[in-house]
Amino acid sequence: MRTAFTSLLLAVCAAWPALAEPCTGAEAQLAQVAKALTVNALDIAENMLRTLIASYPDCPEIVLHQARLAQAKGNIGEATELYYRYTDKDPDDSRGLAYFGRFFLEQRDYMRADALSSAAADKNPDDPAALALRGQILLMKGQSPEGQNLLEKAIKLEPNDPEAQFQLGTIYDKAKAAAQAVEHFRKAATLNPLDVRAWDYLALNLELVGDLDGTEQAYQKGLQVNQAGRYHDAFLDYNYGRFLAKRNDLTRSKRHLDRAVESAPRLRAVWYERAKLDMRMQNYQQARADAEKAAACTQTGGVIDLQIYSLLSQVYARLGDTALAQKYTDLTRETPPPVRGEQR
Amino acid sequence: MTPRKLFAVALVVALAAPLRTLWGSDAGRIQFENRQENSGISFVLDNGTLPDKPMIDGIPGGVALLDYDNDGYLDIFFTNGATLPGLAKEGDKFSNRLYHNNHDGTFTDVTDRAGLRGEGYSVGAAAADYDNDGRTDLYITGFDRNFLYHNNGDGTFADVTVKAGVTGVSSAGKKLWGISAAWLDYDNDGKLDLFVANYLDWSFATSRVCGSPGKRLSCSPTFYKGEPNILYHNNGNGTFTDVSEITGISRNIGKGMGVAIADYNDDGWMDIFVANDNDRNFLFKNRGGKAFDEVGVESFVAYTDSGLPVSSMGVDFRDWNNDGKPSLIVTALGGEVYPLFRNEGNGFFSYESYKAGIGFRSLKMSGWGAGIQDFDNDGYKDLFTANSHVSENADLDGQQHYRQANAVFRNMHDGTFQDVSGDAGPGMQIRAAHRGCAFGDLNNDGKIDVVVSAIGSPAELLYNTSTGGNHWILIKTVGVKSNRDGIGTRIKVITASGLVQYNHVTTAGSYASSNDPRVHFGLGSDTVIREIDLRWPSGTVQVLHNVKAGQILTVTEE
Repeated sequence: MRTAFTSLLLAVCAAWPALAEPCTGAEAQLAQVAKALTVNALDIAENMLRTLIASYPDCPEIVLHQARLAQAKGNIGEATELYYRYTDKDPDDSRGLAYFGRFFLEQRDYMRADALSSAAADKNPDDPAALALRGQILLMKGQSPEGQNLLEKAIKLEPNDPEAQFQLGTIYDKAKAAAQAVEHFRKAATLNPLDVRAWDYLALNLELVGDLDGTEQAYQKGLQVNQAGRYHDAFLDYNYGRFLAKRNDLTRSKRHLDRAVESAPRLRAVWYERAKLDMRMQNYQQARADAEKAAACTQTGGVIDLQIYSLLSQVYARLGDTALAQKYTDLTRETPPPVRGEQR
Repeated sequence: MTPRKLFAVALVVALAAPLRTLWGSDAGRIQFENRQENSGISFVLDNGTLPDKPMIDGIPGGVALLDYDNDGYLDIFFTNGATLPGLAKEGDKFSNRLYHNNHDGTFTDVTDRAGLRGEGYSVGAAAADYDNDGRTDLYITGFDRNFLYHNNGDGTFADVTVKAGVTGVSSAGKKLWGISAAWLDYDNDGKLDLFVANYLDWSFATSRVCGSPGKRLSCSPTFYKGEPNILYHNNGNGTFTDVSEITGISRNIGKGMGVAIADYNDDGWMDIFVANDNDRNFLFKNRGGKAFDEVGVESFVAYTDSGLPVSSMGVDFRDWNNDGKPSLIVTALGGEVYPLFRNEGNGFFSYESYKAGIGFRSLKMSGWGAGIQDFDNDGYKDLFTANSHVSENADLDGQQHYRQANAVFRNMHDGTFQDVSGDAGPGMQIRAAHRGCAFGDLNNDGKIDVVVSAIGSPAELLYNTSTGGNHWILIKTVGVKSNRDGIGTRIKVITASGLVQYNHVTTAGSYASSNDPRVHFGLGSDTVIREIDLRWPSGTVQVLHNVKAGQILTVTEE
């Protein structure tokens, strides 16, 4: 009898914390909220959270998702406060640390992002969110093989994480492995169709593998969702404009390069590319203006001085300004071409 | 039939005549058939590769098409590598090879009898009659040795390199790594001069190793300094003088690969284009036969339209759009685009790779030999590239391929080209490590064939079997006041239907190779050429009228 009572007591005690868990019963809905947030379906996430808060006012995970929602909506102060509140409540949750770390990353607070990603991965080396963030941070720190390993592990555990897919795509993009990059960018864009960067990168890599129709479609999908906000991509019009120029659709190319110039006026690359288009359209005065603007930009966007000199020498030669043409011809000659990669 | 109806019918017929001419010319397809297997040619280019894949092993592979015995048929010469690092042509496998054309589709190896096995690590070949004795001589470039072989006229050649003073050694006493060479009469004195394009300041002592063990890749040429090119002036007595300095040629340090010549500004003096690997290309503008101005930057051919260099390899310099202005195609490596520079005729070239439709297609190709030739005889020159990546282990990348099929782009008559390689027959689907290629009519059937050298696999004899029945003419020039080969002669052809075409006599072009000196024109359905204008380097202008198509026409300078 005494033994039976003790057993019953132990069983009740063991069951008590579960019964006391403030999120019990909300697991499925919380998973749906997490998924909605991951793919940027903010309205769905917000509605579900509203319902959940009423039923589970003490569920800490709701706070975490509220923080993510606030972050996605650009409410930085609110998101910060919510993330702190969550991590105070549950400092050992790797997911919380990872999401908070990603928040810092978006705010370009790289030191905190680094620290939190490291802590998150240490807490749980099998948490895909923690691994994905840590992988991304390692990539940024130049530790590419380690970063790639973590991202690949993250994707194995959670193939539906669009950010991890995107980051893995960037690795292949940098390695000029376009076919593999396409695979990951396509997944990222499919999982989160609002991620303009994914469409943009997908288009760039589809062009490299020779799928020009796919490239066009990817750009179109990107353009449909390229609005100001978290996923705005200032390079989409630039890249699409360049693509259209290669396809000899100069009028449409001009339209997109005009928009690129408007959205990133301090970037040399956009002025440079429009100047090149002006040249093709034989609008040499406009080419001169754009090329000079490009020359004055300090943010190069990858366009080096040699390219500017070469372009200006052509512009002034076309305009018949022999003195300036000669000046830039001389500069072009004097400027050594860039050193390419070690091997080929 | 009423007069009005008769007029209408006559009008339709009149309008249809030129249309039919064009339609007829469009009917054919570009086709190539590789007939190496039964040809008696067993040549396999051996680069002597080492596990560390030194830069030298990606570079060889010149081909020359020359009629060394004046029997009216093109013979074939291949350059070959050597042992590494010994640079010895040990055994047969590294021997250069000369094959005599038996006129029946077969060839006989006559290397030993000709005395052309060679020495050292050979790369390029350039054929022409430098001493105006009516026999085609041969210049060979190489890493450690260059050779000038004088044709003795009895099936043998004599090594006259040292006596002629064309050793490829710079004025500073250094043997430069020669890749391509071009014969041209730069001062129009009736004697062929010699231009040698040199590559890198590389040696085994300074050689770097790239990639990882077991997966070595070719290092970028940016690790090494470039070299000056050499121009030899023909003294007319069997010797040459190095005029690189006084003509301004050696002032420009590049990483020369392909070389091609043309009078791009129509001033009567031949100019020189040098494709530089990962460096700005050179366009040497001939200043009246006295010196050269390097005007690549001013002419907009130094770089692509992005103001950056590509891995320029091979080149050809001919008029592809029938406007009388020689334009350029340059081959490059995968991930780059083959630059196509259209000569505007005002001293400027415009970069038209994408406009012309070869941009996206060539992005995935790596090319060496290149040619601007009319393969379907429709009166518009097409493009051919011999393809392969430079690195034997390129496939580790996933996006790159060491062994690639060659490519042919058909001229669509509107300034654009269409990649028709996939439909050009099994011969065009062979994936190999192609390098140099030479263009010429091997069987004198009026269609331009291509001979392609490939590392580690049999050379390809791509006979042109294009359909369509278009007509043609081959013009062999014999200079009297001008150099005997007539190199540099500019030829304009006007067919009966009014199509105007231009070409010029040269054996230079492609990569490290030497082409048929006869000038080929496709004539579409025209059977008569209304007018042929020849402007010889001497300044002589010669005009022929009402010339029949379908012949190899020898024109001797008057």
